[in-house]
Amino acid sequence: MSLETDDGHDDHHHHHLPAVEDWPRGFGEASWWPFITAVGGSGIYIGMALWILRDVVGSPLIGIGAAVASIGLFLVGIYGWLYHAFITKFWTRDITAAGPVSLRWGMITFLGTEIATFGAIFAYYFYFRAGTDWALPAATPTEALTGSLIIANTMVLIASSFTLHWAHHAIRHNDRKNFVRGMGLTVFLGLVFLGGQTLEYYQFIVTYGFNFTEGVYGSAFFGLTGLHGLHVALGIVILSIVFIRGLYGQYSAERHLSVSTASMYWHFVDIVWVFLVVVLYVGAGQI
Amino acid sequence: MEINAQIALTVFMGVLLVAVAAWLTRIEDWRSYSSTAGGVVSQGERSEYIEQEKPAGLIRWLTTVDHKDIGILYGIYGLTAFAVGGLMVVLMRVELATPSTTLVGPALYNSLMTSHGITMLFLFGTPIIAAFSNYLIPLIIGADDMAFPRINAIAFWLLPPSALMIWAGFFAGPLGLGFEAPQTAWTLYTPLSTGSAGGSLDPAGGAGIDLMLLGLHLSGVAATMGAINFIATIFTQRDENVTWANLDIFSWTILTQSGLILFAFPLLGSALLMLLADRNFGTSFFLADGGNLLWQHLFWFFGHPEVYILVLPMMGIVSYVLPRFAGRKLFGFKFVVYSTLAIGVLSFGVWAHHMFATGMDPRLRASFMAVSMAIAIPSAVKTFNWITTLWNGRIRLTTPMLFCIGFVSNFIIGGVTGVFLASIPVDLVLHDTYYVVGHFHYIVMGAIAFAGFAGIYYWFPLVTGRMYQATLGKAHFWLSFIGTNITFFAMILLGYGGMPRRYATYLPQFTSLNVIATVGAMILFVGQIIFVWNLVNSWYAGKRVESGDPWDLKRDGVHTVEWQWFDRKIETAITDGGEEEQNAVTDGGEPIDKSENN
Repeated sequence: MSLETDDGHDDHHHHHLPAVEDWPRGFGEASWWPFITAVGGSGIYIGMALWILRDVVGSPLIGIGAAVASIGLFLVGIYGWLYHAFITKFWTRDITAAGPVSLRWGMITFLGTEIATFGAIFAYYFYFRAGTDWALPAATPTEALTGSLIIANTMVLIASSFTLHWAHHAIRHNDRKNFVRGMGLTVFLGLVFLGGQTLEYYQFIVTYGFNFTEGVYGSAFFGLTGLHGLHVALGIVILSIVFIRGLYGQYSAERHLSVSTASMYWHFVDIVWVFLVVVLYVGAGQI
Repeated sequence: MEINAQIALTVFMGVLLVAVAAWLTRIEDWRSYSSTAGGVVSQGERSEYIEQEKPAGLIRWLTTVDHKDIGILYGIYGLTAFAVGGLMVVLMRVELATPSTTLVGPALYNSLMTSHGITMLFLFGTPIIAAFSNYLIPLIIGADDMAFPRINAIAFWLLPPSALMIWAGFFAGPLGLGFEAPQTAWTLYTPLSTGSAGGSLDPAGGAGIDLMLLGLHLSGVAATMGAINFIATIFTQRDENVTWANLDIFSWTILTQSGLILFAFPLLGSALLMLLADRNFGTSFFLADGGNLLWQHLFWFFGHPEVYILVLPMMGIVSYVLPRFAGRKLFGFKFVVYSTLAIGVLSFGVWAHHMFATGMDPRLRASFMAVSMAIAIPSAVKTFNWITTLWNGRIRLTTPMLFCIGFVSNFIIGGVTGVFLASIPVDLVLHDTYYVVGHFHYIVMGAIAFAGFAGIYYWFPLVTGRMYQATLGKAHFWLSFIGTNITFFAMILLGYGGMPRRYATYLPQFTSLNVIATVGAMILFVGQIIFVWNLVNSWYAGKRVESGDPWDLKRDGVHTVEWQWFDRKIETAITDGGEEEQNAVTDGGEPIDKSENN
């Protein structure tokens, strides 16, 4: 990966302003996007708080409405930020040497925090799973835990890692057609996986009556699969952004940083899933 | 058959993990992660740029992505929280001047105690460190800005809403909204915090606890974003002549701290959400048999590293500032760095020493005792290095230096009392007494806050371009130092006497020492009022600093890079037609003559 700036006018003593394209433009050290994103992000929490206070504020809809509106605002902020920081003037903007390296470090460290995020719930599950009085709740669909749906869904997710790697490989060789195909296929497989998870939740909750109030295993199952599902959903958003940017002709063999970082994230989520299936689905009923 | 299945699973997991490790070595060009591997563009000197790159007025502060502005915002936020948490404890100490309930009832006392702890650790401690690191790290390592300036701004703006949610219960009670400030103590132990009768009906604060959990989670997200940013910045944005070999001590401690945040805060975040789900959605993460012990494990797996998250950067500030006024370089620099890294690693292996009295497995308990005691070694390495730095130095007792020396002194008392608590038999006697309160306040007030004061005074001219009033600064130091030692030493004695912590009332036999502790707290309070006055007044009307070297550091050859930046900034301002004013007086009382410095 080339880290050189190639526009030829890089002044070695020039101070790089952090936000030259942002709104308000013309200042270079000012941007509304972080503030909007933070207001939206905090608003999600405040919406949840209002939902908890539904008796005080009169209706649960107020909290839900606030949370949904905040998610919208949050996404607007993220969109503006990504657009001005990375997408507009993709081919002409100034690339510092340290920029791509730091973005990769950002993703690596973020995945480190993810290990801790998942780790807390896995630790909870292992703590009770290793205990002497481990017992599955009566409503547990033991057969379905290792049934065909879960096997097929796991295969879909693993396949999506391969299609993503194929796409990444293609753009490294400037093969744009296969890159776009691979990205589209990966997003599709991710959506299929989420659909499978939804179907599974429906079966477990409605058909078998197994939900998150069913004791330790119910909490662990829905806590872990739910957290993982959220990560898959976020991954689909990230991959879709890369896919759409690819459709618009961005990326090349030299410039494909966000393909790399999105891949790291997706492969990580994939590995967590394999671990999760082994310990939570297959490992639940073993002695 | 079942055994075979288990073996098969184990083998499969082993193969999976090896495969992941092998794949990780192949997928990335790991050598490219070193910022010196690629074609590095020299950033050279930072050119000066002033106001035309920012909008005016309030919009400037809402939209800024400049690390210096965000550092100032963090500083104002942290000091505001410090004032709130301080006023809370003043009320508590006044209440504790008498054995029975007088000023505040037990419920309000419990609320104040809970919020005092949460406020000081999450809303003051972490942000005030972020203030220093945001402002200084990019300057010191020669970066243009943080690696991710916009994420930096987002992380800050998540904090004010989180503070409002944490404090919400105090407003809701008087407004008659049906919930109170939480009374769970900052440790949020279950089952007290799970609520006996559903989320909003329990006696420990009702929905106030839910709001606090949400606020804490939000502040944890902000801290984690900051940590990612600092790691990326220190790894990749250094100027080409700033190598790992000559990276300064403050950046080392921030790097280590960020590494701790990376694994501690997200884990707490998950635990908080699990508790929230138990309270509101009928899950049973912490309701099953053993769930209470599990909460303590998860909480302290975060909670103990949190101690080092707060103290390591403050140790970095002391290691950075103290040598400047001893006229020499930090003694044993390498070993201070190694001990920082050692503490960072060990800090994840000591958490259960908070749980010796819970009836956990004695074999586990012994191993946690051993690791906890081992932390005394790197801590002592640092202490001896600070003392030997002072040895035969040209010591100048400026206000920052006084706070640094006060830090070392208080850290020794706080540290040694901690070694005793790490020993299981001693802990079983002193657990949940005021001895523990005295011990950790020697660290959080006597050491962490003192280093914060040292940093604020030392860099005050750099940030504001003005000098604080030296006499008031010294009064602040002596009142703080005497107040700290009176208050918290009395608590250590109270602990030996067996007085339990976390109560609004106590037995009459503890009255005299409690009165002494309250008097000490009032001395501290007066000191902090002087501090706030000095800070605000000097910011607006302090003497302008004319020299780029207000601490006279060039004389000892310790004129560090952030002051060189300041020097250039002042030069630029003067050539731009800055008005001539009286030369500033240094804290040592010597007027600075520019010609002498050149």
